[in-house]
Order: sequence, then C-alpha cells, then structure tokens
Amino acid sequence: MRATKYNSLSQLAAVMTGFAVTILLLESGALLTWADRLDVGAARSGAVRVTAALHKALQPLGVEQVRKESLDGLDRLGWTDDPARLLAAREKSSLGVAGSNSPCMVAAHAPSSATPKTVAPVVAGVPKITALKPLPPAAPGQTRVVALVGDSMMAVGLSDVLLRQTATDKNLRIVKAFRSGTGLARPDVFDWMEEYPAMIGDEKPDAVIVAIGANDGQGFVEDGKTLAFGSDAWVKVYQQRTTDFLNLLTQNGAHVVWVGLPPMKAGAYNDRAAEINRIAYTVVSQNPLATWWNPQPYIGDEAGGFRELETLPDGKTTRIRAADGIHLSDEGAALLVPALIGWLNPAPPPITTAQVAPQETPVQASRHRRGARGRSARP
Amino acid sequence: MLFPTVEFALFFLAVLLVAWSLHRWNSAHKLFLLAASYVFYGFWNWSYVPLLFGISLVSGLVAQRIQASGSPRPRKLWLVLGVVICLATLGYYKYTAFFLTTVLNLWAHVARPPRVRIPEPLLPLGVSFFVFHAISLMMDAYRGKLKERVRLSDALLYVAFFPQLIAGPILRASKFLPQLRAPRNPNAIRVNRALLLIVAGLFKKVVISNLLATRLVEQVFAAPQTFSRGDVLLAIYGYAAQIYCDFSGYTDIAIGCAMLLGYRFPRNFNAPYTATNPQDFWRRWHISLSSWLRDYLYIPLGGSRGSAGRTCVNLMITMLLGGLWHGAAWTFVIWGALHGFYLIVHRVWSGIKWTPLVRFRQTAAWRWMARVLLFNAVCLGWVFFRSSSFEIAFAVLRRLAAPGAITLASVPVAMALIAGLAGQFQPLRWRKALEFELGSWPAMVRGGAFAAAVFGIELLGPSGVAPFIYFRF
Repeated sequence: MRATKYNSLSQLAAVMTGFAVTILLLESGALLTWADRLDVGAARSGAVRVTAALHKALQPLGVEQVRKESLDGLDRLGWTDDPARLLAAREKSSLGVAGSNSPCMVAAHAPSSATPKTVAPVVAGVPKITALKPLPPAAPGQTRVVALVGDSMMAVGLSDVLLRQTATDKNLRIVKAFRSGTGLARPDVFDWMEEYPAMIGDEKPDAVIVAIGANDGQGFVEDGKTLAFGSDAWVKVYQQRTTDFLNLLTQNGAHVVWVGLPPMKAGAYNDRAAEINRIAYTVVSQNPLATWWNPQPYIGDEAGGFRELETLPDGKTTRIRAADGIHLSDEGAALLVPALIGWLNPAPPPITTAQVAPQETPVQASRHRRGARGRSARP
Repeated sequence: MLFPTVEFALFFLAVLLVAWSLHRWNSAHKLFLLAASYVFYGFWNWSYVPLLFGISLVSGLVAQRIQASGSPRPRKLWLVLGVVICLATLGYYKYTAFFLTTVLNLWAHVARPPRVRIPEPLLPLGVSFFVFHAISLMMDAYRGKLKERVRLSDALLYVAFFPQLIAGPILRASKFLPQLRAPRNPNAIRVNRALLLIVAGLFKKVVISNLLATRLVEQVFAAPQTFSRGDVLLAIYGYAAQIYCDFSGYTDIAIGCAMLLGYRFPRNFNAPYTATNPQDFWRRWHISLSSWLRDYLYIPLGGSRGSAGRTCVNLMITMLLGGLWHGAAWTFVIWGALHGFYLIVHRVWSGIKWTPLVRFRQTAAWRWMARVLLFNAVCLGWVFFRSSSFEIAFAVLRRLAAPGAITLASVPVAMALIAGLAGQFQPLRWRKALEFELGSWPAMVRGGAFAAAVFGIELLGPSGVAPFIYFRF
C-alpha cells in the first residue's frame, strides 16, 4: 500500500516530464494563443517566439487536430459561451457547409460607407458636461430595442442597474451585448467587430448604450509592429478601430450614447483613461447618430477627480465605486442611469430635456438638494 | 496570479523544480519558497508586499517575545499588542469605510452629519487570510502550543506561503511550523493524491463554477426582476454549487500544490451539503476558518461552558463576526446572523430529549429531511451572501413567487448543477480506489493522464477565468 501511496522525487520528476510532454503536444496551439494575448512587451515577445517555435515543431504530428475537433464538437452541442463561435457552429450545422462565413460577420467586416478616409485630430480635452437629448418617442405600441454594449464598465454595475430599472417597462427591450475583459485595443483577444453581430443575433437595436475602453490602456501589435500605448501610431490605429466599431453600432440607424470612462483611483490608470476618453470623444463627435457622454460630473469630485463615497440626496452615505477603484458600484451606476433612461425616452411618461441636460452639474445639484434638506431640517 | 492560468502553471513548475533541488539545504529551500511567495503576491500588486512582510514580521517578533517572557503578564501584553496591530491593519484596509459610512448614516437619522473625508485604501489581496495566520502564530505561541522557539524566517514563510496566501486554507502555526523544521522527505511525496486534488480543483473551478456563474447566477442576481421563480430557484441552487466549487476548488489546488512540495495542509471542505444539521455543516464547510473562529473566538468568549443563554450569545457573536470577516457589508452580517440563528435553533432542538423524538431523529427518513431542510436554509443565507444589497436579496426572494417560464435551463447548466451538488455524495472509497489504481501506472503515463485531464478541463471551461470568490475576503 505504502509503495503506491507515496512516491520518490525521481517518480515525481517522471510524472512532471510526462505531464510537460503531453501538455505541449495537446496545447501547443493554446499556448501560442496565450502568449499572443499577453500585454505587449519584452515578456510577450519572448513567449511568442518560444511558443511559436514549439507549435511549428509539433504541428506536423497532427495532435492539434484533436483540440480543434473537440472544440467543434462542443460548439455543436451548444457548450461554448463565445457568441461568434456559437453562431458559426449553428450556421455550419444548419447549412452543412464547413467554413462558411455568417452574413453578420461579412457585414461586420465590410467597410462602412460612413468610415472617414482620414482620422480627425484628437481633441485636447473632453467636455465636462454633455447633455443627452432624449430620443424621439417611439411610435405607440412599438418596443424600443436597446443594446447594452461594452466591457466590464458596462457588465459591472451599469448593466445591472439599467436592467433592473427597465425591467417593468414594456416599451423597452434590452439586448445584453457586454463582456468583461475585452476592448478595442486587442482584437486578437476579443474581436468586437465579429462578436457584436453574434451577440445581438437577429435583434436590430434602435438605441445603444456603450461603455468600453477600460482595458485599452495597453500597447498592441499591428502589422507585425509593436505600438506603444499613446504613441502617434497607436492613437491612429485605435482611433480607426473606434470609428469602425461605432459605424458597426450605428449601421442600422441605431442611436448611440458612448459613456466615457469615469475618473479612476490609480493616477497612472487615470491618465490612460483620459487618453481613451479623448479618442472616443473625437470619434463619436464626428457621428451624427452618436453622443459621447461624460459620467464625471455625476460620480467624480468637484475637481473632476475620483470619488469613492457620496452622500445621496436622502442623506445616506454610500460607496459609488467598486473596491477596485475602477468599476461602478450599483449605487454609483444608479447616479448615471436616470439620465440614460431619460435619453431612451420610454413613453409614457415623457421626460423633459431639463431632466437629462442639467444646467448645473449633477454634483452641484446634489449638493443643492442636500443644502435645502439641511436647511429645512434646521430652520 | 490565479491558479488556473498558464502563468501560475509555469511559476509552479519552476518553483517545484528549484525547491526540490534545494531540499537538502533546508534554510535555502525555505528562503527560496519565501522569495517565491513574495513574487506570487507581488504579481498582483508589488506595493502591498511590504504590508505582507510587515504583518509577518510583527507576528514573528511578537511570538518570539511571548515565548521569551517567563511571566504571564508580559506574555499577555505582547499578545494584545500583536493582535491589536493585526486587527487594526485589517480594520483600516477592510472596515474603515464600512464603519464610518454606518456611523454617518445613523447620524443622518438625527441630524445632518458632518462632511468627512473617508480614507479608502485599496483592499490588499488575501488580507483577511494572512492577518488570521499572523494571529494564529501569536496565539499558539501564547498558549504554549509551539514546542520549539519560533524562528523569524519560519514565521515569515508560514504567513506568506503562496499556496495558502490568498484564500487559505488557514493553517495553524502549531501544525505547520514543525513541518518547516526538518528537510522535506524526497521519498514520501503523495503525487497521486496531489494530482487528483489539482484536477478535481481545476474541474470544480474552471468548469462547474465558471459555467454556473456566467450562464445562470450572474444573470439572475444582476436583475432578478426580469426572471421568474424557476430561474430564480435555479440561480439560488446554482450559487450554492458555484460557491462550493469555487472555494473548495481553490483549496483543493492549494492543498495539492503544497503536497507536491512536500507539505501537508489541513482539509478545508468535507461534502458540506451532506450535513444534516448546522453544527455538522460548519464542521464540513471552510473547516479551517470555522475551527479558527471556534478556537480563537468562541472558546475565549466562554464557549458552551456557561448557561444556555450565554452559549447562544457566544454562538451569535461568533457567527456575526464570521459574517463580517467575509466582507464589510450588512448583507454578510445578516448571513452570519442567519447561521447563528440556525445553530441556536439546532442547539435547542437537539436538547429536547423526548424519547419518540430522539428515536425519530435517528431514522434515515429524518436524516434526509434534515439534509434537505438544512440545504435550503443554507441557500437562504447564500441569497444575502451573494447579493450586493438588501434590495437585490429581497427582490430575489420575492421573485420566488413570480410565475413564468424557465429561460436559463440548458444542458451545460443542468450538468454543472448536478455535478456541483450531487458530486458531494460520491463515496470516499472511489477517490481512494482511483488513487490506488494510479499508483500502479508508470510515472510518465500518470503525468500524461494528468495533462489529458487538464486539456479536457480547458476545453470544457468557459473562455476566461473569473476571479475566485474568496479572493475578495
């Protein structure tokens, strides 16, 4: 019994060797994908070189095919959670044609006529207050289809509160099209141009609320060249990707509100978020169907900086940001949602412009309300 | 660094190689493991490594001072000093905002509260775990459970040892420090058991927990108003399976990794949903935390030595603080209060010695009824544990009465749910038989089988890995 229960160091070494050899055979492609998705830098370059060499050496053995066929089989069973893969598997099985492209993907990759030939110069700063003019009321009996799009800035907090507050509104139908850990900087990791059509499926959103960019403060590789974050070349490519993505969102005439990144707790990260905001604003302000919306007045401090806690008009002090200093808490998201629902203008009752395009900042308004409350409490 | 990632796999293989090559030189071996532990922690955020080092250093020095003090008074003073430093650190990072906002919100009921700038430091990863390790070290030194004098280097490694650093299990100094005294035995490595634990842990986390989280639980708890009773009930049971698989999966991997390095960690879960009463549940769920709370909080409070009323008070205090340990929010306190209530009810119930009832409690029918009842009571607690606010928790509970179609049921969800819950009823002999069977295989083949299992898990798991739930504690 003891001989089988305990092993020696040499047996452990043999087990680990067996493990390493088998895993390299089975996963050399996955390892290359992993290396490719690392943050751009020296570590990534080294990892890509090593894993690419391994993959190249092992590919002729054909073991990689096991992985591909296994994944295809699982996709056909509906096991995958990747919308594009799921859609491709469904189409493959319904058409019986291997490797056919879905119409959505073709549409997604087709150059849009609205794509500008040249990219606009990036603005020096974003406006502090951006009013949201409500959409025209939907026709009686017509449901407004709203897509919630983005990375974890949408997935954490904002989408939850939007879903909750619109749950009973029969005039709105919400389509969830958000995914944490994604962005526009790394289509090699998650390609929004391919995934968004798969995520919305047959829906044709009339309105889109998008919150994206929190993961984009990183370099990437374009045409074999490593582009450092914020460099002119990086800005140009990222701006073009943002333009393409916005064109995709608006291609069926959908109206878009692009929610800017809020102030972040970490200073360096905040600088990157500001750069992403400037690019997004530059792109969005060129598109007549889209509005870039600054959340800072609602959840930032008086100087436009990060604010973790807020005393609400009812006197309750609450945390408006998640513990990571990046995402919104539900209470923080709740400060943004009234304006967004106002923009969606679900009828009835109609929402006036004054409610969603404040003459004073939301922070000022909140303080004034508190002041009034305080005065009435203490005559 | 998350366990189910390529980064951790590479890190661990390198650590395994170097650590065993240094096993003859115990000091160098331990120094290397300490450095590796700081690299592991610094991979998340280097700026908190000094905090980890500081807490370890303080606890090690205090433990030494306690051991060196002959009379009870200075020993007690050193212990109090060390525990206060540890709890103040935990309080500052984890509870400052919670405490101050609670005060301000209570204040607002009677007058306008003052405007105060509340410090909100970033919560260091695993701070609740390494602070509890530090307290265990000092308490064990105070109680004379450490047979030999504490070495500072051992104390540093005990608190920071990477397999348990971020989410436990919470080791006892009296059980772990003796393992650091002698070099690891290169002929007594439980490779098969370790590999089975790692594979089981990966499967529970990557496949079951992630799948239930993304396809069921997160959707319902984000906006319960949009789901009917069938989906809500599925999500509540799904969360029971998810949190078990998430946390026990993490500790299985931690125990397996430590085992490959030649160290023994205590068991942290023992099929908790098979429990038939709340006391039994807490002997099976997060065993290292519940025994820590029992030994260092419940028993010092008086345990069950006083009157029945005093025992109930002690139980409730222990569970309330246990709830607060999990997170700085009132939902966690209510979760703790519910479990305190369950324990008190069980105590009263089991104290009834009416003969027909005693006989009935011994029947299989009652055991199954009790199991189902307890599971649902635990699930009620999970609703508060999972919800970000009372508003969500009560919305979830209200929706249990809402009619409508089930929309989130699917084959993968059903399979994950069944595997997560029913898997706990598998007989222990199956695992032992498998371990025994593996022992007869050639070592290289065992490694290949382990790789094939990892490959299968990677294929079955959703893309991306969600953070472990217990990381935030």
